[in-house]
Amino acid sequence: MITEKMRDVAKDLLTKGEVNMVIGWEKGTFWYNSTPVFITKAEDVERLVFDEFCTNNLAKYLLDYKTAEGKVAIFVKGCDARAVNRLMQDQQVQRDKVYLLGIPCGGMKEAAPGTQPQATEGLPLVEKCQNCTSPNPVVFDVLLGDQVSVRDTQNRFAAVEKLEALGTDEKYAYWGEMFDKCIRCYACRNVCPACSCRECAFDGNGLNWLGKQNNLQENQMFNITRAMHVAGRCIECGECERVCPMDLPLMAINRKVIKDLNELFGAYEAGMDVENRPPLGQFKLEDPEKFM
Amino acid sequence: MSLDTEAVQQQPATAAQPEGAPQEWEPRIVGFACNWCTYAGADLAGLSRLQYPPSIRLIRVPCSGRVNPQFVIRAFQRGADGVLVAGCHPGDCHYSTGNYFTRRRFLLMQNMLQYMGMDPRRFQARWISGSEGPKFQQVITQMTEDIKALGPNRKMRDVE
Repeated sequence: MITEKMRDVAKDLLTKGEVNMVIGWEKGTFWYNSTPVFITKAEDVERLVFDEFCTNNLAKYLLDYKTAEGKVAIFVKGCDARAVNRLMQDQQVQRDKVYLLGIPCGGMKEAAPGTQPQATEGLPLVEKCQNCTSPNPVVFDVLLGDQVSVRDTQNRFAAVEKLEALGTDEKYAYWGEMFDKCIRCYACRNVCPACSCRECAFDGNGLNWLGKQNNLQENQMFNITRAMHVAGRCIECGECERVCPMDLPLMAINRKVIKDLNELFGAYEAGMDVENRPPLGQFKLEDPEKFM
Repeated sequence: MSLDTEAVQQQPATAAQPEGAPQEWEPRIVGFACNWCTYAGADLAGLSRLQYPPSIRLIRVPCSGRVNPQFVIRAFQRGADGVLVAGCHPGDCHYSTGNYFTRRRFLLMQNMLQYMGMDPRRFQARWISGSEGPKFQQVITQMTEDIKALGPNRKMRDVE
């Protein structure tokens, strides 16, 4: 039903010429894949689809069109909407150049590769949707469908707390094992809506903060730096963890930062609005003082 | 950058003797000192002939807010046993607000390093003003003692 609405509204926007492109999802190779699609012609809107497999966060694609003429319409789930807010806060996307089509999202599902088509009801939620705090878009021009209720997110920090309880050397061993696997493909950075620097600290051919060696130390440098760079700006869309080919528990790092920031400097959720600045970009005189 | 190569070449034996003879082993602590307060405080400690362990290698930065979490990790990578970030007391920043950002950033960084399995005593931040020579002496002495007790740092390190 949402799919029908999507096609109608996309067709309408494209025929009237209000937007030059609609970014959404289409059916992928398999029944459990829905991949991003970029529609520029009204006759192509039939490709658009919204189902339980539209896992990709589309917001980052807006960066590719930030200097393009005219408007781009984009479908946003709860996490995508926060990502758009995040990019707008960083002055990467202008509000009047995007047309946001909100879709309340009941959570995305995953099926093991190769399984035969079956009812989608029994499938498990993907990792990133299990502790979703904002299934409803926080910013949109049109909302397609009805608002959905927020899932219980009590266990959001369970993985973090489990790791915090380990001893110092155990933690180091655990993360060593994890970072040893990292191949530094930078997929986590590329997909992240909080990582929008044109020139990234990890790129460049010369002497840099990150060496080119593939060893544990450089992997640690990369992963800790990445976590600190997105600190206070991570919207918990979980895309980094989803795209990681080595299955590193990246959200356990991001959530640790979020948990600490909330405890130290007051509750903050990135990307909920454009005005409220991230915690590391502001301060209060009465912040906790441990460095006396 | 000069820190890593020089320091390592000067003391090639340290890596080979972990806890064997702790009295001979001197930790290497990298200190990022703000130009306006802590660097002046260190100067005062020197002028006042205050004795403190030679374990500290000070790097002068314009403001403690200049210090990036990457500096800290790099120092550990290149052989530091401890890292200190020091600047003006909150409210005294030469640039008005730099150290308030430092305070937030490094509270978070300290937790992050702990989460990654570093001993929290290896990374410290302190406010040391230009008139606090004795405090500088005391902070360095204390940190050196703590790190001596911990032994050489092997974590995150990529030099031998």
